[in-house]
Amino acid sequence: MTSDKKEDEMIYGLTMDEREALQQGLQQLPETSPPRVVWDRIRAQAEAEGLIKRSLARRPSTWYTVGLAAAVALAVFVAPGLMNPSEQVFPTVPPVAAVAEKTPQEKLRALQVESRQIESDLRSLPDDPRVMRASTAATIHELEERIAAIDYQLNDPGAQLSPDNEEIFWRERVRLMKTLFRLRYAQAQRTAF
Amino acid sequence: MPDMSKFADIKIDQAIVKRAARGDAKAHEIIYRAFATPVYSICLRFTRVPAQAEDLVQETFIEIMRSIAKFRGEAALGSWIRRIAVTKSLMYLRSAWTARGQSLADDWDEFTAGDAATLGVSAHPDDALDLDSALANLPSVSRTVVWLHDVEGFTHKEIAKFMGKSESFSKSQLSRAYQRLRPMLQQANEHTAADAEFIRSC
Repeated sequence: MTSDKKEDEMIYGLTMDEREALQQGLQQLPETSPPRVVWDRIRAQAEAEGLIKRSLARRPSTWYTVGLAAAVALAVFVAPGLMNPSEQVFPTVPPVAAVAEKTPQEKLRALQVESRQIESDLRSLPDDPRVMRASTAATIHELEERIAAIDYQLNDPGAQLSPDNEEIFWRERVRLMKTLFRLRYAQAQRTAF
Repeated sequence: MPDMSKFADIKIDQAIVKRAARGDAKAHEIIYRAFATPVYSICLRFTRVPAQAEDLVQETFIEIMRSIAKFRGEAALGSWIRRIAVTKSLMYLRSAWTARGQSLADDWDEFTAGDAATLGVSAHPDDALDLDSALANLPSVSRTVVWLHDVEGFTHKEIAKFMGKSESFSKSQLSRAYQRLRPMLQQANEHTAADAEFIRSC
């Protein structure tokens, strides 16, 4: 055994064989693929920033935007007559990346967990800086207003909401929360570095 | 140290890289399809939160799109992409640590004895053998150092540079992580020996 190896064993407290076994085990851990929607988001952002050329053959972002706009409109203007007085019980299972092939109830539950997770992430960020760009402040304010409007509808005890509509509300809430998190995170980075 | 990372196995044609540098959406999609899994995996290992890992994947590939015109091919494309993913993930972790008012060094201090019970040193042998969960339960800094060193093949010097720390800091984090993972390795060895004994007795 060389002196370097002896020194390593002393420093790390593992024999070379143990280290090798550990490294092999780590390298063989399974990898995970991101959900399909991640590429759609990247593409939408890249097109918006002019980083890639728009494809003339494919315009999914138009439908995506229309769908989201409809969801927000539904959340803000239509909901009072649709509400459900059901209890807002938060489940304790962790968020699951793959929500495909789930029952509506499971999808809803996954969205609620994801929403709660983002709220927790938001709380872990530093407070708003004292000085921020007016445009950023306006965007944050608008996002918070839209989230509050959705929360109002979701928590209205006099309303009745179908499972499909409830899912639309929660999906939109998650999307808005994610946008808010990204904005606040970018803002925190600007002030931290 | 040799490049043990899975990034090194992925080859992309130079013509695709050139097309991507011109903003060709299809070329970028090809690069994304090739590297999305290793990038997401590394982000998920560091953050442990799928939603955050997804955001980091997005930031990584947007950064690739912004910078690929400057990529000269001196290093492999995979190494370049991996570096961006690691930098983004560490920036996120640094931000999270900063937000909690902690430094990189005191991540271990909040790791109490109670946490050790969930760490693979459990009474249940199946739990003890679960390297994945043992790794996930290490403090963020140590988990990151273990992954960068033992899986991605970065040297302590490189890790120190990434983290803005000294080489001895990186070595110390690795050593502490190994101490936590060691009982699990010992149990794995005992199981292997027991299995061998059982096979001999049959």
